[in-house]
Amino acid sequence: MASGPLETYSPSQTLERRHQQQKRKSFNEIDWARSDGRNFHQCRPAYLRTGATSSASGSAYAEFGSTKVIVSVFGPRESKKAMMYSDVGRLNCNVSYTTFSTSTRGQGSDNKDFSSMLQKALEGAIILETFPKTTVDIFALVLESAGGDLPIIISCASLALADAGIMMYDLVSAVSLSCFGKNLVIDPTSEEEACQDGSLMIAYMPIRNEVTQFTLTGEWSTAKINEAMELCLDACSKLSNILRSCLKENVLDFTD
Amino acid sequence: MASTDGDRPESKLAAEIEVEAYRRLFPLPYYDRHLVESVRPDGRALGQARETTIAVGPVSSANGSALVKLGDTTMLAAIKLEVMTPSTKSPDEGSLAVDFYMPPICSPSIRPGRPADTAPVIAKQLSDAISSSGMINLKELSLVSGKAAWMAYLDIYCLNADGSLFDAALLSATAAFSHLQIPLVSLNDSGRVITISEEQKGKSVSEPLNKEIRKLAIKNTPFSLTCILHDKHILADPTSEEESVMDTHVTVVLDSKGRLVSSYKAGGSVLLSRSMIKNCMEIAKQRMEELGEILKESLSAMEID
Repeated sequence: MASGPLETYSPSQTLERRHQQQKRKSFNEIDWARSDGRNFHQCRPAYLRTGATSSASGSAYAEFGSTKVIVSVFGPRESKKAMMYSDVGRLNCNVSYTTFSTSTRGQGSDNKDFSSMLQKALEGAIILETFPKTTVDIFALVLESAGGDLPIIISCASLALADAGIMMYDLVSAVSLSCFGKNLVIDPTSEEEACQDGSLMIAYMPIRNEVTQFTLTGEWSTAKINEAMELCLDACSKLSNILRSCLKENVLDFTD
Repeated sequence: MASTDGDRPESKLAAEIEVEAYRRLFPLPYYDRHLVESVRPDGRALGQARETTIAVGPVSSANGSALVKLGDTTMLAAIKLEVMTPSTKSPDEGSLAVDFYMPPICSPSIRPGRPADTAPVIAKQLSDAISSSGMINLKELSLVSGKAAWMAYLDIYCLNADGSLFDAALLSATAAFSHLQIPLVSLNDSGRVITISEEQKGKSVSEPLNKEIRKLAIKNTPFSLTCILHDKHILADPTSEEESVMDTHVTVVLDSKGRLVSSYKAGGSVLLSRSMIKNCMEIAKQRMEELGEILKESLSAMEID
């Protein structure tokens, strides 16, 4: 037992498991209260700021409830030597988590899944023709994960891209939604995500009225999908306004 | 703004571009000409450190955390406590694991998948400084002698790298330890340690192992200062630009009583004379007192909240 790396465990594991079982039961009922006191169609308060890291071309920090994310954008800079010639610019995305981002200590490894999702969500919004032969690197670090990580990373990354002066058709804002039986719950926390019956995430460009990414999991009826989409798109438009006002504030600060 | 002498702003702009170009093309002469005047390009005096701020408790998912800004260098330290079986050699001692990360967001020179060379070096220096200063009494991390003890995982993330990484990392580590709260736990039937939640507190199933949420007693806090040596000059708390231009770095770690914990000088083109070492120590001592004040202030600010 003494040999090899030390075996450790988090003392709160048992507690959480019990907690989750209780929650799962309550989510099946028609009416329940969300742990943070929001109603079902209410998003968490968002705090956004650009210029989080000075060494990057552009960066942004986002805090939605207790989910905290930093995104840095580097470039456009020289592509890797092994890359083939390309008329249009490339996007290179990487999403990683800190070891303390979740309630039990993780490995702090890269999230390959989210990395490619982030790239796909942003690719359609960036005018890649403006930086041929070069690469724009988008690196995200999740400081604390408390649900809705991917949509927050996407929104934060589009803000960082704008801060870096990368040409885009429009800002991308993303919002997720969970389905519990008859109820649709917007901007779920990780606790809610763990018990959901189905989920929907939309990344949207409100001014062009175009969706760059749409993921749907679980069992849905067509009517429910339509209702959920309406909710998400509405929340995306509102979030986009927040992103825009954050950028404007920055410019005003600069000119003062 | 359109003034009568219209060519003035234009010539001023030209001069500015020249300075910027000079800085990039001839960094060393650029610095030399500043240092002769005993001033640094960012306006600091030679022995002056950058503005330092500490925010305690930014990470709610950790047991203790701190965010330190040293100029533009930003460090986020967080401690997570887990339970381990103590080794037979020291049955009533907990343990400490220190790790230092430089994620790709912190600097343009770091790419994902290729960790920075300096990260493991700094991690080792940090764990050495923390253990040799005797800041933490590992006996305090014991739960049940020989059966269970706390394993403290200290993970420090560099969010923005702009020089003096070790100093900022060590400061964030000490601040996180000062903020660390050991939760209430009890033993369950199968001998595993579990946390006691708020609602369970009254109707406690089993006897808690510790009476109340407590903090570690921290003594001999280590503080460090990195200096750059260049000719006869000593530059305290260098930025990453200064670090890249001038290559002789000296790091001095002192504890809060002013005793020397450790000192590193990894090569470099300038050789240390005895008086230089003395001067470095002197500056480090001043800085240690300054940092002690800043740490005390930020901790007392937290207690008021």
